[in-house]
Amino acid sequence: MMNTGITGDLIEVLFVLILGTAAFVITQRALRSLFTLYTIQSVILAAIAVVLFAEHRTVSLLFIALLTLVIKGFVIPAFLRRTLVVLPSKRDIEFSYLTPASSILLSAVLLFIVYTSFSNVAEVLFSDRLFFLGGVIGVSLALMGMMVIFSRKKVVSKIVGYLTMENGVLLFGLFIAEMPFIIEVLIVIDLFMLIVLSTIMAFGIDSSIEAFHKKLTQLGMRFED
Amino acid sequence: MNWNTAVYIVMNPLFALVLSPLVLGLIKTVKARIQGRPGPPVLQQYYQLRKLFHKEIVYSEDSSFIVRLGPYLGIAFMLTASLFVPMVFIPQTGWFGNIILFFYLMITAKFFMVLGGLDAGSTFGGMGSSREMTVSSIIEPVTIMSCAALAFVLKTTSIPEMFRTLLAGSIFSYPTLILVGISLFIILIVESARVPVDNPETHLELTMIHEAMILEQSGPKLALVELASGVRQTVLMALLINVTFPWGLAGLAGCASLLLAAVTMAVKMLILAATVGLFESLLAKIRFFRLPDFFMIALFLSFITIVFELLR
Repeated sequence: MMNTGITGDLIEVLFVLILGTAAFVITQRALRSLFTLYTIQSVILAAIAVVLFAEHRTVSLLFIALLTLVIKGFVIPAFLRRTLVVLPSKRDIEFSYLTPASSILLSAVLLFIVYTSFSNVAEVLFSDRLFFLGGVIGVSLALMGMMVIFSRKKVVSKIVGYLTMENGVLLFGLFIAEMPFIIEVLIVIDLFMLIVLSTIMAFGIDSSIEAFHKKLTQLGMRFED
Repeated sequence: MNWNTAVYIVMNPLFALVLSPLVLGLIKTVKARIQGRPGPPVLQQYYQLRKLFHKEIVYSEDSSFIVRLGPYLGIAFMLTASLFVPMVFIPQTGWFGNIILFFYLMITAKFFMVLGGLDAGSTFGGMGSSREMTVSSIIEPVTIMSCAALAFVLKTTSIPEMFRTLLAGSIFSYPTLILVGISLFIILIVESARVPVDNPETHLELTMIHEAMILEQSGPKLALVELASGVRQTVLMALLINVTFPWGLAGLAGCASLLLAAVTMAVKMLILAATVGLFESLLAKIRFFRLPDFFMIALFLSFITIVFELLR
């Protein structure tokens, strides 16, 4: 059982930092900073898993931390950054349906709704206040990611929205529904394939096959003619 | 009124008054260095003020008593507001320090500055005043929300009481103060008319806000206006510093501890000034109609502070 000592305090600080990064993911326009924010968010998630491991001594938590750190902290951001080479503009200034200001307001409302709906079942479901907190922030993060997906127009930033959503699911999984480690691995593999496919789609969808091959070569992929 | 309070009433505004030109100077130097220029000397602002105090005052013939009275009112309101934020030590008495009154004192000072901008009827002044009021009215809910978040987290509306509570705890007891800190930083940037919102270095350009309002002021009156905005910045910086990193603040008045606390505060203030200079150099000025996006982050962070505290 989680005690409310230094571990609990540390996790709360990390929660606060995650919420901070979420706010900036919604409003940031420069793509490079958007990717950096995602990296920071993933590293914080890995840190939460490590702190939880220190408390519970469940080895799978350590593996989750390692997996998150390597894949989401290094590999996916590196892949995303490589796409910047091909992209004509380095900023995403197009928004549909919601301006950044209104999506920020909406996500505050979402957080509050999630909080009120969770607090109805809090007594039954959560043995610990911290788990309740983790659940609420996890679901809110997933919803904020979803909002990024539909309010951004560029595919690359939609991908970051999807990744944020997955981070929210991971956070929820860490605190509420303990997923078996193998499922966690499969999710990450899925995620990675999705990133590869959707970045390729993002460049290829508006070009001819020849031009598409040229673009992919720039991305570092070789094709036999 | 006891001895302790008397020392506080003299010392706190004086500290803000003396330190504020140095803070402004340091921000300018940091920005210049980042741009690859040597920049003005750090003490340039003091020379500037001395020069201005020795100049004559010229009034527009269309202006009324508002332009003449405005600078005195501005500096008076700011010095009163500076009493509300303990910078060196926390006073014993609790009859001042309400955070809502503090922000409204600052707004009143701004109000007279805006009137002064409108008074002479010049086009630039009117434009500056109109913009200043627009920005103020957008940042107002954010400010109130941050006050509410601070009051909610620390269970008091008195600023000295907040600092006292914080000195007894640690960042781990109040993790949400990181978020309030970011909100206060954004408020600091807006209220002191710094880069993403306004550019303090432009004159006679169509983008200026603060500088456009004070075009009609000259000589010692201009020096007072400059001092007032310097004090505004210093006081807000002190609020931000003491909310996020209060250690070093003296609990009681004593000669040695006061000196140590003053030096600590000055060092923290200069570090924050350098940070502001760096922040300014990294960002470009935001287009006027996109400013709400910038403010909304502060609003959001203050709001989730409150929700987070409800959750804990």
